[in-house]
Amino acid sequence: MLRTDRIFGVVVILAALAYIASAFQIRTSFLSDPMGSKSFPILLGVIAILCGAIMVLKPDDEVEWPSAGAFLKIAFATVTMIGYAYSLKPLGFLLPTAVAAGILSYLIAGRALFAVLAGLGLSAGLFLVFKYALGLGLVAFPKGLF
Amino acid sequence: MDILSNLALGFSIALSPWTLMLAVIGCFLGTIIGALPGLGPSNGVAILIPLTFSLGLDATSALVLLTSVYYGAMYGGRISSILLNIPGDEPALMTTLDGYPMAKAGRAGDALVISGVASFVGAFLATIGLMLLAPLLSRVAYQFGPAEYFALYMLAFCTLGGLASQNQAKAAFAAALGLAIATIGLDNQTGMPRFTFGNLHLMDGVDFLVPLVGLFAVSEVLIYIENQGKSSSLGVKLEKVTIPFRDIGASFGTMIRASFTGFVAGVLPGAGASLGSFLAYMTEKSFAGKNGGFGTGVPRGIAAPEAGNNAAAGGALVPMLTLGVPGSGTTAVLLALLMTLNITPGPTLFTDRPEVVWGLIAALLIANVVLLIMNVPMVKLFVHILSVPPGLLLPGVMMVSFVGIFSLTGSYFDLLLMTGFGVMGYLFRKIGVPTVPIILGILLGGHMEDALRRAMILSDGDVTYLWSSPIAIGLWAAAIIGFIAPMFLRPILKRPDRVID
Amino acid sequence: MNIKTLGLSAVFVVTAGAVSAAECIAPANPGGGWDFTCRQIGKILYDIGQVDSPVQVTNMAGGGGGLAYSTVVNERNDDPDLIVAASQATATRLAQNAFGGATADQVRFVGAIGADPGVIVVAADSPYNNLDDLMNAVKAGEDISFAGGSAAGGFDHLKVLMLAKEAGIDDVRAIKYIGVDGGADAITQTIGGFTTGMTGDISEIVGFIETGEVKAIAILTDERVDSFPDIPTAQEQGYDVTAVNWRGLYVPKGISDERFQEWADKLQAVADSDEWKAAMEANGLAPFTRVGDDFQNWVDGVIADTEELSREIGVIQ
Repeated sequence: MLRTDRIFGVVVILAALAYIASAFQIRTSFLSDPMGSKSFPILLGVIAILCGAIMVLKPDDEVEWPSAGAFLKIAFATVTMIGYAYSLKPLGFLLPTAVAAGILSYLIAGRALFAVLAGLGLSAGLFLVFKYALGLGLVAFPKGLF
Repeated sequence: MDILSNLALGFSIALSPWTLMLAVIGCFLGTIIGALPGLGPSNGVAILIPLTFSLGLDATSALVLLTSVYYGAMYGGRISSILLNIPGDEPALMTTLDGYPMAKAGRAGDALVISGVASFVGAFLATIGLMLLAPLLSRVAYQFGPAEYFALYMLAFCTLGGLASQNQAKAAFAAALGLAIATIGLDNQTGMPRFTFGNLHLMDGVDFLVPLVGLFAVSEVLIYIENQGKSSSLGVKLEKVTIPFRDIGASFGTMIRASFTGFVAGVLPGAGASLGSFLAYMTEKSFAGKNGGFGTGVPRGIAAPEAGNNAAAGGALVPMLTLGVPGSGTTAVLLALLMTLNITPGPTLFTDRPEVVWGLIAALLIANVVLLIMNVPMVKLFVHILSVPPGLLLPGVMMVSFVGIFSLTGSYFDLLLMTGFGVMGYLFRKIGVPTVPIILGILLGGHMEDALRRAMILSDGDVTYLWSSPIAIGLWAAAIIGFIAPMFLRPILKRPDRVID
Repeated sequence: MNIKTLGLSAVFVVTAGAVSAAECIAPANPGGGWDFTCRQIGKILYDIGQVDSPVQVTNMAGGGGGLAYSTVVNERNDDPDLIVAASQATATRLAQNAFGGATADQVRFVGAIGADPGVIVVAADSPYNNLDDLMNAVKAGEDISFAGGSAAGGFDHLKVLMLAKEAGIDDVRAIKYIGVDGGADAITQTIGGFTTGMTGDISEIVGFIETGEVKAIAILTDERVDSFPDIPTAQEQGYDVTAVNWRGLYVPKGISDERFQEWADKLQAVADSDEWKAAMEANGLAPFTRVGDDFQNWVDGVIADTEELSREIGVIQ
């Protein structure tokens, strides 16, 4: 029977192997110490492989995964956050924050008008707090807009 | 009575209406900063250093303000741990274990009051300890060489076995993952990059705040989106806030013991407050035994880590003031502040600049009392955070997290990394991989590997060097017991308390 | 580990329309030498009226200064209001190609206004009283180890290697070296007896010398320094080694010559101020003032020397 833990265990083993492989690529200076730069990472990789093997052999009870709809929402939230990460610097604080906070609010509470208000309110409110109470040098708008 | 006259000197410097006002402002700002995810005590102090200069504060005022912020942030860290299951900073991690279940059970107010009192006891005792022992304790650091440090970290990881989830393999994997993340960046011994793949952002390693906020705050939001309403993690009931005298009385012994443990952990340069709260919680948990109910929301489970981490924060000042060795991130920032004020901490500070040391100690005591007075009535205010609709609060937490992390480097890279950790945290929580060991691995990993490698250099690769001193042997013995004991206890305990992460 | 997380003071300095306030980048976290340089120089520049508004200090830790270096070269190359803290460590890393291919001629070194002499220190109860004792012990095959704040092959390690080379010891591994988290940590290990000695800067050991817990057996300057007249130089002991960790600034390459000269003059004004003298005194720095083109030439020489030495010793290929 295929269980989540088994798949996860295999992923862990593969990731650990990749980690060990890249540990062998570490450049070492010839001044290196007795242990060197590689031993500790390799040791960790071996431990992770053992853990992965145990997960494959003795999996826990099956995980209750969310419905496709919920998964889609989570994926959408993740994409929103990635977009927010990229836009914060070029577009300034206010606009991306309002959009991202609005989308997240809609995904969480499912109320459109509330989400719009939450986005706008959070964007403006947090800007004031960060800028004036904490003194962070936030940029409000894209450079060159005003 | 040298100490009393010294203390009088300290208060004569630190106690005036002006400094008291600064203490109140500092405590208030600190509590808020500490409560916001991603903005820990170190950030709080770091943000405000420039402020002290633009305000033109003198050395004492600056010290009072910033130590108030420091202690305030230590107090504040517990608030989001208890109310939202999101630790505001890394030492507040352990407080989520019992604080959140207790809040879920409708006792949010009690949990906050108990943690407030525990914080006070921890910080107060640590300040007393600092006062009495600092000149003596500075010698302890001389007893810790690479082998002793390595044994200390082994102890931390072995006791982790007792904390971890029902599945030891998953817990061990989580710890290994954390340690592996810690290997990213420049190798401390050779100065060569490891696992950076030519990326400059990774040269200095992964800042632990990024995975911390990702694994906790971001994944919390994702979990909430999945559940949307049912089994809401914000389903914390509100109730009238009273002072739970009985609980406080019952956990008083815990507070005292945890303060002691935390203080000792704080004195050792290294993981500082996180190790303090962790060890305090684990000690109390094993002390309470199977009937203690640790992990299900018991008062002692809140009192222990809070007393522990605040005591550790005080303890961390000992090596900072006496040796100039910062024991934690925050003390490093305080060190920077002192140096800007032309005060160089070191073995002679206590004799050369008594007014600074005792002024600081007095400032700590003042901040502590202010915080206790402020925190108990303010509990109502904090509990009200819960009545904010999730559709507003959670996006707010997200945005604060993003800005907090963005301000670390001003680069989108850390934000992407944080989002990645958020998704990973979500999956891990579904699969049952505990996230606490990951964070501890990241925090301790670098130190642990460095200690091991230094030991190997000094001993020419002789492994027995690792247990060649009485202190090292003692720590190893404790580590082995900590690792083995849960295995034998498990059949007796049947199902160990699961970590709610 | 924690220490590197404090960069919040770095608060994305992109200023929203603020009038060109000067900014000083400390390429490390708060608490170290570069942070000290920025904060002190920034404060004094404002106090003595060389700048109109307080200098904003930005901590940009990463890659041992490499992140700040590449940021300045690639993104801020023509910013006239930017100064960056530098020290011998910057020069050493440039010489050893530790900044990912960046070279020293991509910025302009504007001046140094203080120096931290290198020292070799042993515990007070150590049987070694001078460099000869120590080097003879190494030759006799005794177990000699040093702790220092830099990684293996870094400036602190180089000091020991240079001395060993002078003594005719060619095996760079004859003396063990552990890189720890800064000078204070290194000295703790030495007092605790875990290493034979500590290699570092004099500012790191001021307090410990006063308490008598350690003895400094050599200072790596041409002449003895005024504040510690009892510490013999390596040269007196027949070891021709000097190593000072200068503290100074570099500026972006793309600024005008006039602006470069202005910064040089401002720095000279800081060097001449009483405030800076007090700060040097309190932190064990020795006077060392070189500004403008004079300094640039001197740094070029230092980098060339370090590169040659590193190659000779085998730290770089």
